[in-house]
Amino acid sequence: MLEFDLFELTKATVTLLVGFTAVLASLGVILCSSPIYCALYLIGHMICLALLFLLYNAEFIAAVQIIVYAGAVMILFLFIIALLGGKKEVQEPSLERTLAVLFVATMLGELFLSATVGSTKPIEGGFDLETVAEVGGSAKAIGLELFTRHLVSFELASVLLLVAAIGIICLSKFSYVPARRRMK
Amino acid sequence: MGHQFVLLISACIFCIGAVGFLIRKNPLVMFMSVELMLNSVNFLLVGYSNFLKSMDGQIFALMIMTVAAAEVVVGLAIILTIFRTRHDMDVDHINTLKG
Repeated sequence: MLEFDLFELTKATVTLLVGFTAVLASLGVILCSSPIYCALYLIGHMICLALLFLLYNAEFIAAVQIIVYAGAVMILFLFIIALLGGKKEVQEPSLERTLAVLFVATMLGELFLSATVGSTKPIEGGFDLETVAEVGGSAKAIGLELFTRHLVSFELASVLLLVAAIGIICLSKFSYVPARRRMK
Repeated sequence: MGHQFVLLISACIFCIGAVGFLIRKNPLVMFMSVELMLNSVNFLLVGYSNFLKSMDGQIFALMIMTVAAAEVVVGLAIILTIFRTRHDMDVDHINTLKG
């Protein structure tokens, strides 16, 4: 007897389509010769991944992906491209590039083998969909975990961001003039 | 969709990012390829956090996003500094530390 859940079927189809769009967009990132098109393809890729995160029940991460990646990081990229001028890159085939593609193709084959052949014993945690809904959503569940069990890594992440902020101020403040001219 | 879909898609995106990092010469596009690789790992973590009913994967994805943001900011500042001194956007030409 053929019986299928229409909702599950639609969800699977949408997941498949969005997943393949994400792969195609990432191909666009590395194949376009103009960096501005690369950045636009990357934005499309980020949005596809945010949709995938939504489909895998991670609403908070999807929102963060849109805000941090597709928003902040990509705007930064676009500003830098606008500042430096997006010159087209000539891509001629060479021995090194062929070797690189072959190397990564081997790696992809190994990854596919390990993905399809073996499986390990899963260790399930305590956060199924009902628990998350009971707590009050994905953001609250993440907050509860983050501020109890992962507090140290959270604090370290804030220190990391501080160090990055100080580092970029030093880089952009003290290296404006080339070193040779500063000596005079 | 099951485990293998997540594994295959993220393996594909990771390898595309690796190829992009190796074959491109523009440092901006190389950074974008690094972002692709980080994103594929994020997708894997989120997918498995859903399958294993655990929040740890999502928290790790959040940490990866923090690291990626810091890395992009510092990397772009370095690219900008190099461009100011050399007016060149080809990583093959940047083979000495001294400008």
